[in-house]
Amino acid sequence: MQTDTSTESDDTLYIDAISAALADEMRADPSVVLMGQDIAGHGGAFKITRGFLEEFGDQRVRNTPIAESGTIGIAIGSSMLGIKPVVEMQFADFISCGFNQIVNVAAKMYWRTKHPVPLVIRLPGGGGMGAGAFHSQNIENWFLHTPGLKVVSPAYSGDAYRLLRAAIRDPNPVLYFEHKFLYRRERSPLQTAPVPDRILGESSILRSGTDITTVSWGWMTHRTLEAAEILSQEGIEVEVIDLPVLSPLDHRGIIASVEKTQRAAIIHEATCTGGFGAEIAARICDEAIWSLDAPVRRITYPDSPPPFHKGLEASRIPSPERICSELRQLLDV
Amino acid sequence: MTDQDPDTAHSRKPNPGTPFPSKPVSDIESTPHPAASETAFGSLKEMHAYMRLAREWDLRFEKMFRTGALSKWYSSVGNEATTVASACAIEAGDSLLTLHRDSGAILRHYLDINALLPGILPQVPAIREPMGGDSKQRFLRLTCQMLGREHGFSSGHERSYHYNLFEEEWGLFHIGMISHLGSMIPVAAGTAFAYQQQGSDRVAINFIGEGATSTGDFHEALNIASVWKLPFILVIENNRWAFSTPTSQQYACDHLADRALGYGIPGVQVDGTDAEAVLSVMQTAVARARAGDGPTLVEAMLGRHRGHSEGDDSLQQVPEQELQQYVEQDPLDLVEKRLIDGGVFSRAWIDEVRERCASLVTNTVDQAMSMPEPDVHQPRSIYAD
Repeated sequence: MQTDTSTESDDTLYIDAISAALADEMRADPSVVLMGQDIAGHGGAFKITRGFLEEFGDQRVRNTPIAESGTIGIAIGSSMLGIKPVVEMQFADFISCGFNQIVNVAAKMYWRTKHPVPLVIRLPGGGGMGAGAFHSQNIENWFLHTPGLKVVSPAYSGDAYRLLRAAIRDPNPVLYFEHKFLYRRERSPLQTAPVPDRILGESSILRSGTDITTVSWGWMTHRTLEAAEILSQEGIEVEVIDLPVLSPLDHRGIIASVEKTQRAAIIHEATCTGGFGAEIAARICDEAIWSLDAPVRRITYPDSPPPFHKGLEASRIPSPERICSELRQLLDV
Repeated sequence: MTDQDPDTAHSRKPNPGTPFPSKPVSDIESTPHPAASETAFGSLKEMHAYMRLAREWDLRFEKMFRTGALSKWYSSVGNEATTVASACAIEAGDSLLTLHRDSGAILRHYLDINALLPGILPQVPAIREPMGGDSKQRFLRLTCQMLGREHGFSSGHERSYHYNLFEEEWGLFHIGMISHLGSMIPVAAGTAFAYQQQGSDRVAINFIGEGATSTGDFHEALNIASVWKLPFILVIENNRWAFSTPTSQQYACDHLADRALGYGIPGVQVDGTDAEAVLSVMQTAVARARAGDGPTLVEAMLGRHRGHSEGDDSLQQVPEQELQQYVEQDPLDLVEKRLIDGGVFSRAWIDEVRERCASLVTNTVDQAMSMPEPDVHQPRSIYAD
């Protein structure tokens, strides 16, 4: 393996954190099996499993035919009899081909039968690389509307490592959204705390502020922090909340923050209508509307597919400048 | 569009699907089955008891549906030879994935019929050992499941055959269906994958209808299972009608079993009304899977005896003559005729088996009906702890 986590390196690339989490969990638990397209000899489209075939063998690192539904169904069945499958979607967008197995078979199995489905599906998603409409989407909301699934969206290497290991240990189906733009750009230390054995709702305040609360995840958390830094120089202090886990949602931290700052904006790369921002806005309105001094704002992708041309695409993804501008509007400055 | 009257364009034509392989039972010569021997009759006796229990089970619930005591029922009548014989070919430790026409497989796999009806079978099982554990309790819970009672496997949350039952200590691994037909094929292959990963010689069988062979999951799962040589047997219960759609509107090949060629695995078509024929095919398929030689596709030719569900009018799409043909090829009649013609059972004993099975079902249903309904205020978690 290219990453050795036994020594505490200072900074780890986001992509290496994912590889390390997979390898460490495979070493710790022989029932963990990887399935995906081109993941064995080739090491996957993003080389996350490079070297895995040599270390773990072809029984535990399984190339699959191009069959998302069949693969996910096989993962579900095997997970019910003692296997811990981790399925790699080559791109998050392709999960639509496995939709029924996820939302009707995996998500409902525990509720229907009390039999756990300890399954992880890794979803390399998101834009920023001019990859077009079918290699750039942010589709977490398709699954946030389905009870019974857990949805993870790490923005940092440390969270990516910790949450992937926790996802594999969790007895429930977990959709693990990893952002392709962050793969080789985000670099931060891995945490040394023990890995939890399940995914719980979590929100973390990355920057304290008094004037407005922002809620974001994945790549957008990085852009929101950039915006917060710019605004700070103007005397505006933004409280930046990151959601490494979207489902189950820990909304208490968001409510507490909004009660303090009295303003809120949700920033997501996914499209707007029916997006998770609407859910968070509704929770804020349900529980903290009397604290609000301004409408809750959603800063998102427009309701359209990702365009190919880099300039076109960039114009649609919330930028630090656009985030600053919209937050200033809420603060009436 | 054609000029045909839309009312008659498709609906009343005889189903031009694959010819039925067997004759009406009454026309079958009254000589023992060619394979008949003491052992073969032992198999037949064993299958007969479970087939009769399955038939009485369905007749009882059909009646409850008609009187309004049950909100939904899907009947297994006509499928008993295929389902009971298939479940006779597996053992404890194997996984079973069923549809809504597979009460025969469930009852055969779950129960020791001698524990429920002492003396109904010879002491020594001819084909397979019965499942261990408490058959009476399991049968009661199964009945409660059908009736939505708290004591059922899903505590009233899921309908009839949409449940799972795992009893690891006995090697019972049964996964029920969801309503999306074909969706459980990859899940069944997944249980076979688990067995392969764990180095065991266990196998998985899954029943589907001919309609589900049109789904993407049929192709995806069968292809992966073939590439990975999974210990998996997929049984198509081809009753010629998917809801109201005849085979001519479902597929264009002669035999669905021929599709196996495209996956590089054996495909076998069998008369699904002939329990002995199905048993033989399934034993070969299971042995092949246990030996590590991969999946088999079995197409059991059946006929639709009932509507898609009870109370819909889909059976009206089946031409009368065709329906009559299916009724004349009743798999239970065939088994009973062979047992009587072979001098193994008297008509009186056949009747007694039927009476005892019917009483068992009636008494168990009565008991289940008196058991508690689910507590509507009790929340049910969506996550495993």
